[in-house]
Amino acid sequence: MRIENLELRSKKKEFRKLRCEVCFSILNSKFLILVCISLILLIAGIAKAGEAQIRKAMKESLVYLDISSYGYDQFRPWRNTDIEQKGGVGCAVGANLVLTPAWNLTNAKLVQAKVSGQNEYIPAKIKVIDYELDLALIELESDSLAKPLKPLKFKDKFERGAKLNYYWLDSSGNLTTGQGYLDRAEVRGSTVSYDRFLNYIVTNMSQETGTGQLYCDGTTPLGIACWSNQAIEAGLIPAGLINTFLQAAKETNYPGTPSVGFVTQQLLDPVKRTFLKMPPTLKNGVEVSTVFNLGTGSDMLKPGDVILAIDDKDLDAHGKFSHPAYDRVGFHHLINCHKVGDDIDFDIWRDGARQKLKVQAKNFSVEQMLVPWYEYGRQPEYVVTGGFVFQKLTRPYLTNFGKDWAGKTTPHLLYYLQDKAFKPTEERKDIVILSYVLPAQINLGYLDLAQLVVSKYNGIHVSSMSDIIKAQRHNPESKFDVVEFEFDNPTVVIPRGQLQQADMLIGNNYMIPKMVNVGE
Amino acid sequence: MRSNSFLKALVVITLPFTFCSICKSAGLGEMEKSVVMLRSAGQEFDPVTPWKSKAFSQGVGSGLIIEGNRVLTNAHNVSNNKYVELQKENVAKRYPAKVAFIGHDCDLAILTVDDTAFFDDTIPLKLAGLPTVNSKVSTYGFPLGGRRISVTEGVVSRIQVDTYAHTGADSHLVIQTDAAINPGNSGGPVIQDGNVVGVAFQGLRQADNIGYMIPTTVIRHFLEDINDGIYDGFGSLGVVLYPGLHSPSYREYLKVPAGQQGIVVIDTLMHSSVESILKRNDVLVRIGDYKSDNDGRIDIYGLKLEMSEAVEVKQIGQQMEIVFYRDGLLQKATAAVALNRPVLEIARLYDVSPRYVCFGGLVFVPVTRNYLETWGPQWLIDVPFYLRYLFRNSMQLNEDSQRKEYVALSEIMPDELNAYAGSFKSQVIKSINDVPIWTLDDVRQNFEKAAEGYYVIKFMEVDQPLIIDVKTAKARQAEILKKYDIPAQTMLEGIK
Repeated sequence: MRIENLELRSKKKEFRKLRCEVCFSILNSKFLILVCISLILLIAGIAKAGEAQIRKAMKESLVYLDISSYGYDQFRPWRNTDIEQKGGVGCAVGANLVLTPAWNLTNAKLVQAKVSGQNEYIPAKIKVIDYELDLALIELESDSLAKPLKPLKFKDKFERGAKLNYYWLDSSGNLTTGQGYLDRAEVRGSTVSYDRFLNYIVTNMSQETGTGQLYCDGTTPLGIACWSNQAIEAGLIPAGLINTFLQAAKETNYPGTPSVGFVTQQLLDPVKRTFLKMPPTLKNGVEVSTVFNLGTGSDMLKPGDVILAIDDKDLDAHGKFSHPAYDRVGFHHLINCHKVGDDIDFDIWRDGARQKLKVQAKNFSVEQMLVPWYEYGRQPEYVVTGGFVFQKLTRPYLTNFGKDWAGKTTPHLLYYLQDKAFKPTEERKDIVILSYVLPAQINLGYLDLAQLVVSKYNGIHVSSMSDIIKAQRHNPESKFDVVEFEFDNPTVVIPRGQLQQADMLIGNNYMIPKMVNVGE
Repeated sequence: MRSNSFLKALVVITLPFTFCSICKSAGLGEMEKSVVMLRSAGQEFDPVTPWKSKAFSQGVGSGLIIEGNRVLTNAHNVSNNKYVELQKENVAKRYPAKVAFIGHDCDLAILTVDDTAFFDDTIPLKLAGLPTVNSKVSTYGFPLGGRRISVTEGVVSRIQVDTYAHTGADSHLVIQTDAAINPGNSGGPVIQDGNVVGVAFQGLRQADNIGYMIPTTVIRHFLEDINDGIYDGFGSLGVVLYPGLHSPSYREYLKVPAGQQGIVVIDTLMHSSVESILKRNDVLVRIGDYKSDNDGRIDIYGLKLEMSEAVEVKQIGQQMEIVFYRDGLLQKATAAVALNRPVLEIARLYDVSPRYVCFGGLVFVPVTRNYLETWGPQWLIDVPFYLRYLFRNSMQLNEDSQRKEYVALSEIMPDELNAYAGSFKSQVIKSINDVPIWTLDDVRQNFEKAAEGYYVIKFMEVDQPLIIDVKTAKARQAEILKKYDIPAQTMLEGIK
């Protein structure tokens, strides 16, 4: 029994010891859990506080833009189109300066901003607009702001696959957010201009963006959205380009960004490379297919040149270079990164030998184009005389034909847009067309004429709209104005003696307030 | 007067396959005995890879027996024909027939039958003149909706010059009627007072009861043309005209006397019979006996019709007198009636296989409407820009008198040789090794000519050339042809 008791005691002791160990162990793990929970709560709290902080910061840095657009009717250029209201997002880059895509401001007549916590609209005006970069700087009326905006600092940070948050302020002043993933960087054609520039592409977004929404990696502003599509992708204007733009915008006269003055085509065919006398060891280079009369390289490059490198960055056969962060990116980015006037180093292959060129970074205004790509905010140039409506050919004129416009328009007009738009010459600065004829007695027999390219007016070669004005004063003793056209078209003969009265009647009849709108 | 005819929405009454078994019936009139049912099988060519044929199709149409044991029908009933048979109402026997003559530009064809028994108990139908507007006509034929001959009545609604949808480009006189003309009626006679006043041939898809017949003026021209055993076709003026004299200022500028009517010459077609006679800003006032008004219309057949009718009364090769004003002076000249076709043929072609050259896997074909129509129903919108530009403006764009046609790279049969040529597909060739290409045969010759080095192939409005290594191309040619079952490197003469 004793022995048994002793054994029992001993067992009880062991049991107590074991129980203590278990209890301690249990206590220990509970503690750990508690610590973990506390930590999680702490992190969540910090995150929440951080998020709240970000939201607060965003409210102080984002504005809603209310934009009223008022363009011109391309086919009746003396009248305006209907007023269009649209909204956009602005990001503060100064106490009263906000950044937004230029697309938001096409044909803008009135821009007003809404800031968080303030009911009334803040009057705003466009300070700088660059359609080629799709960026605009808007100045808000300081006196109307309850407090200064909190400027954001854009930083170039590219981590493929990074989860991005995006923010915007809606028309009620509420901050809205979404998420997407940074997928790639690529050079793409602008939605508002002829130019191409670097975009960060965000995928799997929670909703469509594209009107200036601010994208951040954590708390770092990366860029603003300039387009999005139904495949839930969005394009961002990256911080690098934004900062270049903001720097240039500080200058009294905004110098713009360099535009590329040539077109390339891939050079993959080994036979073509041999034909161009390129050694087999030379694997890189993209071929220049067309050289414009405007823009960077237009004065130095020739069709058939092979661009081997720009700024010592080798171009592959597709015209892309290796970027440490972006991987392969189109060469346009190398040119866009320069300031207008900079010398850019080109390594080219020409006439069977390698050559080095110093190519000056250039840009040009859209008005210099033979067929302007856009006319945002500008009244189209026209002359109405004797009911004949003469206009300057522009891309908006052609796109006004609607869906499938390229297939519907007169091919001869499209030819000038497709092949000659960037190739103005001293002899041909504009393409002047007879758009159509407003029926009146003076133009009896000519009503069917439309979309004809004017070649001569009173014997004077027409190289621009202003030539029509000059030609109308030519040969004052002549009884007629005589207009000739390209291709097989009749000659238009307008009796000068009847013009003044006819124009008055036509102006009244068709409610044309001004018969001529021609720039200098 | 500028032709936009190919844009018009006329639609040929097609021949859907409606297999009819004829039952016995009593009480047939003489007329019904001379109206026949036509069954045909055709097979179109592929204009992109011309050595291949498209699936064959069958259809039913109508025809009428005319003098000389001949059957008159529409060309579109027997185009690209492989087989045709005829059947008379109430007669079970079917008679194989042959296409003796076909005029695609006027949508008419003559069939013959070897078995003369076919013409037993038939009376050749006679051609009448033009019916008057609002007079009654009866349409005979074998349209959809039944197995027996159908007769519908209506009135002549309009007589005018219009586009013949079969080619999509040729315009001649047409008679519009509200008598029902449906698929299967094509080629059947339209009768007035027991005589033929027309051959039913097309309808308007987007309208009710608008059908068209080919009048006897056109039928007679066709029949007269084939008398010598060859069909030459309808001639044209070969000029671009504009009704400019409606403008008193234009008239004064052109020094045309007040009261004088006429139509302004804007341009002449290259190589046309009037190219050396007329020039821009001449004013055409008369052709033969027909005076033009300011719309370019003449008084003919008791109607006001387009000036082209004055040319169409003549056969190819016959002379016509042209009277016109130039710099205020009245002038006369004589010109031969000719086909005067544009360098890029805008009419749809039939019965001739498209020509091609296939070298190094690159398939070159002439640019024709058939080729352009491979872009589908909206081809005028969907074709690549330069092809559309040429189709609409080849007359103005071609300044080279040696050019006979435009040639396009229609297809690339994939091979290591042409692996980088994809972007040149559907482009129009300009030169090979700087030798201009004016015909498809120029392509063949220039590929054959070079022995070494490169073929530098330039295309119109394309900045950079396609480069092909000569030796490699020649070495791989036989293998490429074999790989893709291409029977020959070139086919320069279309096979009927």
